[in-house]
Amino acid sequence: MTEGLEQGGSVVVIDDDYAMRLSCDQTLAKVGYRVATFEDGARGLEAVGELKPGLVVVDLKMPGLSGLDVIARLHEIDPSIIIVVITGYATISTAIDAMKAGAYDFLPKPFAPDELRLIVGRGFERRRLQRLSQQCEIDRELQRRRFVTFVSHQLKTPLVAVHQYLDVLRQLGDAPEAEAKRREWLDRCLIRTDELRRLIDDWLTLAQLEGGSLGRRRVPVDLREVIPPIVETYEAVATRDGITVAADLPTEPCIVRGDPTCLGVLIDNLVANAIKYNRPGGRVCVRAEQHPGEIVVEVVDTGIGISEAALPLLFDEFFRVAQPGGRRVEGTGLGLPICRRIASEHGGVIDVESTEGVGSRFVVRLPAARTDGVPAQEQPA
Amino acid sequence: MPATNAHSGTKSVLIIDDDPDFTAAVRATLEREGYAVVEASSGAEGLRKLRECEPDLVVLDVMMESSTAGYGVNELIKHSGEYDTLGQTPVIMVSSIQESPDDLYPRAPEVDMIRPDRYLTKPLDIQKFLEIVRKTLRR
Repeated sequence: MTEGLEQGGSVVVIDDDYAMRLSCDQTLAKVGYRVATFEDGARGLEAVGELKPGLVVVDLKMPGLSGLDVIARLHEIDPSIIIVVITGYATISTAIDAMKAGAYDFLPKPFAPDELRLIVGRGFERRRLQRLSQQCEIDRELQRRRFVTFVSHQLKTPLVAVHQYLDVLRQLGDAPEAEAKRREWLDRCLIRTDELRRLIDDWLTLAQLEGGSLGRRRVPVDLREVIPPIVETYEAVATRDGITVAADLPTEPCIVRGDPTCLGVLIDNLVANAIKYNRPGGRVCVRAEQHPGEIVVEVVDTGIGISEAALPLLFDEFFRVAQPGGRRVEGTGLGLPICRRIASEHGGVIDVESTEGVGSRFVVRLPAARTDGVPAQEQPA
Repeated sequence: MPATNAHSGTKSVLIIDDDPDFTAAVRATLEREGYAVVEASSGAEGLRKLRECEPDLVVLDVMMESSTAGYGVNELIKHSGEYDTLGQTPVIMVSSIQESPDDLYPRAPEVDMIRPDRYLTKPLDIQKFLEIVRKTLRR
């Protein structure tokens, strides 16, 4: 059933022919439309302003205001109104003019009741889809604006903190407490400006990945060569926090076709997170394995884990997992969106399993490169 | 336990903001002016501290545990009826979002529920902020 019928859709019929008005009224009212009929364009237009119908059936050839005049005025009243023109065979070219002027469809006389019902039903369906599409457009715009507000808020936050410190320090001048605050706050300012720099870097990485200017290189990459340097980089910081990091790699090659830098960023982000969201005595293990047709990389940790509620949001931009006791963990909230993007750019997927308080397991599946003797030369994506 | 010292007449301000650096700077400013300061790093903690400390003024951030957490806190304080006389506590909303709730939702009837006593954008103009705090607490 069409929306017009569900809502008892309102139809205005404008035709100078009494028999035609009567026939339209009976045909449409019989299937539930609310119908009002008028014998000339002027009265019809006046009624349209008041009744606000979803659809108007208008005869093209009438004394006084012509059908074409009526169409133009109808769209001034309500651009979304659906107009069906009725025309005699002799005026088919005028009907085409009417459609060019904005009518939805035309019905040549004589027509059967079912033809009228069909065309009116389709007209209301068209109106419903138009409105749906407009609503989608409004929703999309709203979402875009919210996202812009959110991104600008995230970028401003460290900047605001630095500005506020500097402004208060200026106000403090040579007050006795100023020197201690100056030392403490300058350090904080440096940390926050660094946070801002990382935020901009990550944002740029994500934008470049999405814009296609990053991660387009495709060369054979053996992940067994990518992983060890990353693990070594993090060993010192992990040891300081009482966490052990290790790689568990097979003897056979784990070759994917991809951008070595981006694949490094992907694994680096996962290892960094596994250490960051861990605790003293915790472990992080990076594994790579060849499965049929794919290479599977796992980063497994015995960290604090992720709540069930947070899991679906984990790969969203700027989402941060809330820490117990409100502990702040450094980060931009863009690391995992970057990982997901890199994985998908390489034809792969990233997934996570986690138990709060036990740990997490991030799994990246990438298509394995063919190793059937095809020369390992660099090719564009 | 109310944070205001009844004998000295020290007024207290509850800062609800998830950025510890912004809070530290504003705290130093307020303490220098002789106000007692209580901090909360989330909306939920802020509501708890409101009951515990009965501050004379709330300085409230917007985007905290959710992007509209501050709006929710304002609504709960002022319109839920759960906070008795504390519901009268003036709220200065501070955010780096340039638009106030009235700018963001000009036609929504619900905007009455989230409208604070004052809306200021971050970074705060410290002199102007202190002037507003003084005026608000004098009422």
